Amino acid sequence: MSTATRNRDVWWMTWFFPAWYAVFGVIICLLTRVTPPPRPDVTAAEKVAFFAQHHLTIQIGFTLLLILLGGAAMTNGLVCYQIKRMSVGSVFAYGYIGGMSVGALPGFLLVTVCFLTAAYRPDRNPELISLLYDLGMLSYNGSLGCFTAAYLVLAIAILYDRNEVFPKWFAYVSIWQIITEVIATQMFVFPSGAFAWNGSIAFWLAVVVFSVWLGALIVLLRRAAEEESAKESAQMVAAQ
Amino acid sequence: MPESRVTTWVWGALVVITVGAGWLAPAAHTGHITVASLPITVLVLGLALIKSRLIIRYFMEVRTAPRWLKLTTDAWLAALFGAIMVIYIV
Amino acid sequence: MTRTEERTETVGRLPGDRDMWIMVLGDMTIFAGYFVIFMIYRAMNRQEFLVAQQHLNITIGVINTVVLVTSSWLVARAVQAIRAGDVQKSIALVVSGGVGGALFMVLKGYEWASKIAAGHTNSDMFYSFYYVITGVHLIHVLIGLIVLGVVVRELRNPARRRAQMVEIGATYWHMVDLLWVIIFALFYVMR
Repeated sequence: MSTATRNRDVWWMTWFFPAWYAVFGVIICLLTRVTPPPRPDVTAAEKVAFFAQHHLTIQIGFTLLLILLGGAAMTNGLVCYQIKRMSVGSVFAYGYIGGMSVGALPGFLLVTVCFLTAAYRPDRNPELISLLYDLGMLSYNGSLGCFTAAYLVLAIAILYDRNEVFPKWFAYVSIWQIITEVIATQMFVFPSGAFAWNGSIAFWLAVVVFSVWLGALIVLLRRAAEEESAKESAQMVAAQ
Repeated sequence: MPESRVTTWVWGALVVITVGAGWLAPAAHTGHITVASLPITVLVLGLALIKSRLIIRYFMEVRTAPRWLKLTTDAWLAALFGAIMVIYIV
Repeated sequence: MTRTEERTETVGRLPGDRDMWIMVLGDMTIFAGYFVIFMIYRAMNRQEFLVAQQHLNITIGVINTVVLVTSSWLVARAVQAIRAGDVQKSIALVVSGGVGGALFMVLKGYEWASKIAAGHTNSDMFYSFYYVITGVHLIHVLIGLIVLGVVVRELRNPARRRAQMVEIGATYWHMVDLLWVIIFALFYVMR
């Protein structure tokens, strides 16, 4: 890769994207234990025990997330930048940013605040701790419909884009995301079974689809940055 | 046989199989207590497999598609219906 | 339009385009996951599922299957028409296929309404699967209607009409039909 490329800032962000998600993965899986999710069909006493068992790592993990959450906005900004390079017009890029931003509040912040509050006073009334557990988990997993608008906008932009920034099949993968999130709404109805927040359909299958989507996006962002570098190098050579 | 005639025959087969299978359904026999039935289920799944393969091969035109697509769709059918049968029986 | 039938015999021709096939094969895989998970829960609750299944309206099930299979046939004929250069016929067939899809949605909506009115709601495990899986399928039908609409729009525009576009739409639409055929067997008929 030529270091004389003018889109070095794009390259920095393109590497930052998977790095941030890796840290985020450590936080949600290893530290705070919200992914894979703890069970919905347990008693208040068991929920209190969950918070007691993971007390320290929940506090470390979520306070870290509070500081790092801006990184999510930056990763969204990178995707927004690539959408702006499409022929469809900037409104799609802004729609994507808007949709993802709306989703961040119930998606990350609510579970962060709920779980930190639950860990803050462990000797609180167990029923209140149980409420914080449910509220946090439901909003974390079940609010994904907020992201639906962002994915829809992304899919439509890709399908109508004549500059071929992203391949058309990624639009279809984004539509799968929408479908799994529509199914996720069922989490609010079932405390157990396939459609609960830890269910095989509402959670596990959805996680597989999300991993495919995220993995594809990381690869495609890299490919888009390469194509932009190549285009700009060619333009610089032609201008000489 | 011209292509459109083949397609129409496939459609005809699909409709006949569908109506026939409908007759086998538990809800079609009201008044009887529904009982599980291995032979009927095997028949129903077999018919569904035939219908699926007809749609894939003729409507989706996999019959004249590259070999990788033929193999992939057949593998999908085998894996899905195989899994369904095994789970049903076990 | 070139006839490549001699080559087709030996090498094979991919209808539509690779991106749509990625969509279709991936979607089929995801639905296969749903079907297998349904079967596993069914195996754990056999009697309960059998009893619940009896209340499904088999007549509407059969009619809906025939409607969707017929609309698939019409769309397949539309592909043949555009390949023969008959644009008007192709448009008419795609529209008819779309009408079939719309009819399917209306019938399904009526079916859901009558089941819910009779008290078969999400709280019954069999029906929770039924509503979610047929619901996801219904979204696919709706998307399919949008896809067919785009196909008709492109066919009407002399600068943009291509056989490949109709093939792409047809590939998606046939997948919708295929998935329903399996849903029909698993929910309505098998016991």
